[in-house]
Amino acid sequence: MTEQPLSFGADSADAADAADAAGKYVYCIIRHDRVRDFGNVGIGGGRRVYTVQHEDLAAVVSDTPIVIYDPTRENVLAHEFVNETVMREFTVIPMSFGTVFRSEDDVSELLRSTYRAFTDVLDKMQDKIEFGLKVLWDRDKVVAKIEQENDEIRRLKDEITRNAASSTYFARMQLGRLVEGAMEEAGNRYVTDIHDALKAVAVASRSNKVIGDRMITNSAFLVDRSREKEFDDAVREISRKYEDVLTFKYTGPWPPYNFVNIKLKLERAN
Amino acid sequence: MGLLSSILLAPFTGPWSGTMWTLDKVQRSVEEQLIDDTPIKEDLMNLQLALEVGDIDDDEYVRREAEIMQRLREVRDWRERLGKGNAGGPVRVARDREDESE
Repeated sequence: MTEQPLSFGADSADAADAADAAGKYVYCIIRHDRVRDFGNVGIGGGRRVYTVQHEDLAAVVSDTPIVIYDPTRENVLAHEFVNETVMREFTVIPMSFGTVFRSEDDVSELLRSTYRAFTDVLDKMQDKIEFGLKVLWDRDKVVAKIEQENDEIRRLKDEITRNAASSTYFARMQLGRLVEGAMEEAGNRYVTDIHDALKAVAVASRSNKVIGDRMITNSAFLVDRSREKEFDDAVREISRKYEDVLTFKYTGPWPPYNFVNIKLKLERAN
Repeated sequence: MGLLSSILLAPFTGPWSGTMWTLDKVQRSVEEQLIDDTPIKEDLMNLQLALEVGDIDDDEYVRREAEIMQRLREVRDWRERLGKGNAGGPVRVARDREDESE
């Protein structure tokens, strides 16, 4: 392993060249006590991905200039691709996108000083994988279904359509309110039902903030590798149950991004 | 400023300081907007979702992603200028903690 002296300044072009190989982009932490090469799949155009060791822990890294990585799709996919590759063989603690250390020494220091926390989490996450599930609804279809099922709403709506000219502002407002309430109730019912069906097969679950106005749940599930197939089947079954009104976006397996919470004491290195 | 002008300007002191306060508040809220990347990240997530569900095509995604990255960079520049620090830059383990030992 070569070690670069930390003598470069961030601004001059020469220094940037010198810095080119010194920074380390860290993808994840694994348990492995030998140097390991994962191939030229790293962020920034296929850089070599390899490990930096400390005892039986290893940080999976690639060389990088000291830069802030934009979360473009290309960059994010590169980050994820490395983690997916490593995950095929190892239990991983993923690092957040864009984590760059100044030098190999700094990475070793991270492993050394956080050794116990990493080891604990690796034990807990042993053979666990994460799946993501976003569920979106089709508003119009849900409204149609509600009108079909809810007598009060159907009656009020019929009344309004029949007496279009004379129907009052209040009748319309009341209808709007009833539909709104019924929608909320239906949404909660769907989400609860989906979660109940999947929790039974998962080790843990977490709900994240929904994105946009069509999403009713944005969840992550931690699943034991041995039950992956079972979880898949459960997702397929519940999505079939609601296929007329809901769209399921099911992704994974991921490293357990949503279930690892190690507060790293990091500071800016300038 | 003499006594006379103080007296002459007295009626304006209240509203004037009020204006100063408002401007200060506006300035601060502008600053907060300049250095807040939360709405930009939300836009990015929405954009990704739009691509995932097929609302937009790849070209549209690439075009709008470029705009969003530009906005992110602007926020980073402002944070830098206002001394706020950026997530995603080079980091190292904080060395000044006493509980650093393994």
